[in-house]
Amino acid sequence: MTPSTSRPGRRAVVAAAAALPFGAALAACSSDTGSGPDLGGGASDGGGEGTPYGDAIASGPLASEDAVAASAWATAIKDNGKLVRGGTLANQVFSLASTTGEDPTGFDAGITQLLSRYILGEDGAEKVEYIDTTVETRETMVENGTVDCVIATYSITPERLEVIDFAGPYYLSGTAIQVRTEDKDSISGPEDLTGLELVTQANSTGIQAIEENVPDHDPDKVQTLPDNESCVAALKQGRSDAYVLDQGVLLGNSKADPDVTVVGEPFVDDPYGIGLSTEHEDAADFVNTFLQEIIDSGTWEALWTATVGEVVDGEAPEPPTPGDLPV
Amino acid sequence: MEAIAENTPLLLQGIAYTVALTLLGYVLALVVGTALAVCRVSPIPPLRWAATVYVEIFRNIPLLSLLILISFGLPDVGLRLPYFWCGVLGLTLSSAAFVCENVRSGINTVPVGHAEAARSIGLGFFGTLRYVVLPQAFRTMIQPLVNVFIGTVIGSALCSAIAVSEITWVTQTLNIQYAQAVLMFLVAGAVYLGMSLGGAALGGALERAVSPGGDSERGRDRKALDVTAGAQA
Repeated sequence: MTPSTSRPGRRAVVAAAAALPFGAALAACSSDTGSGPDLGGGASDGGGEGTPYGDAIASGPLASEDAVAASAWATAIKDNGKLVRGGTLANQVFSLASTTGEDPTGFDAGITQLLSRYILGEDGAEKVEYIDTTVETRETMVENGTVDCVIATYSITPERLEVIDFAGPYYLSGTAIQVRTEDKDSISGPEDLTGLELVTQANSTGIQAIEENVPDHDPDKVQTLPDNESCVAALKQGRSDAYVLDQGVLLGNSKADPDVTVVGEPFVDDPYGIGLSTEHEDAADFVNTFLQEIIDSGTWEALWTATVGEVVDGEAPEPPTPGDLPV
Repeated sequence: MEAIAENTPLLLQGIAYTVALTLLGYVLALVVGTALAVCRVSPIPPLRWAATVYVEIFRNIPLLSLLILISFGLPDVGLRLPYFWCGVLGLTLSSAAFVCENVRSGINTVPVGHAEAARSIGLGFFGTLRYVVLPQAFRTMIQPLVNVFIGTVIGSALCSAIAVSEITWVTQTLNIQYAQAVLMFLVAGAVYLGMSLGGAALGGALERAVSPGGDSERGRDRKALDVTAGAQA
């Protein structure tokens, strides 16, 4: 052995590593609760006039000058000329970046654009600055003023209300159970999950839903994975027996993949709210007024149909009552 | 603070998992990496090529992708390991590539004359490595191997993405519940910092212990001593 003998020329085996078309998407930061299935259509078609989504946004109400002037929070946004929203752009059903340079689409993205339009006027929907927040940074970024609001499938919980304010709820989600299709007759509700291996998303409220509803649950049998795709893979590969998450996302999975089925009805209500800083006492009232207006004008229903309605069967649900916080 | 007080057992379990992942991954990586380095300097071309291919592949895959591949790709071809062992395997495969390169560059610091002298007194390939090259190479490898250890410590955090309940997973989970991100991640950060500093201190002690003559003064602040000597002159 002579350490410095000339070695054979390096092969470009790097290509082998580069050729693994894997993980690029997974390397993204965790998105918020539930990224829906890729159904190759619906909410990911991009907005714009003439699409159901674009029309829903264009039909949104506008705030009166006086209403904006009466709210310090809204006035600051108007003076700034843009609404800074914290959230994700990687959630299929709720907020997805466009690949064609259009504005993001989805239920949360729509609420964001409607709110921006409400404050900033006719072309306000385009004046949104989208800042990425993760589950880890949401409270901090809204509280220190980095973002004006957080609209990110953000469940209203008592612990979070101690740190920030919430407007809403603007959407009522429910936690449900998905199993392999062959097991669909043996599991119908959380009481059947005792002793089984369970999986949920790491940054969802599924963990608490399991703790509070599965009798004698064993914490060691609850796996958490960062995204919907991993959870479905774990379920199909038999690493877990049931997947607990937001029903809308689970229904999307069943629609895309006949090997998995949603069983029973949602067993936990999961109200989504708009996170606001406690420094702006008037913000929550102002946003609740806006939510009530889009509900009354039918815009909420049109937006639901163009986004969540694409992956969930049936009619739009009854909208929640803004300001009715579950505390 | 209540988040910490109410969940001390969970946090301790998280730390235990982090330590276990790191130590298992690193120790196995040392074994595999050293074997690979021996292949890379061996006189047998196919072994050299195989080791080179291994290093280039596993050095260039992001660890997260590798962990996901092992966890959710392998079951499709019939190999389903528990998540924890998926984590250990991923850390081992990745760190071994770095260990291999460090060991190899350590070997390259030994003057060729030494190896030739060893051959001339009749030592074979393994004899040359064992008695002449590796003992000298080991000293120069310590600091780079400490870097690999720190990389393994930090890499273990990515196992939270494959449902291993190590300290990052625990802090993420508690944050969902308590909405205390800054506090929780300071806790996790302190754990990683403690482990990394511990590894570095151990490496430093080892380096002094094996420095020529076992003189504990050597290898420590020699530059600083030179500077003071200059100042006195």
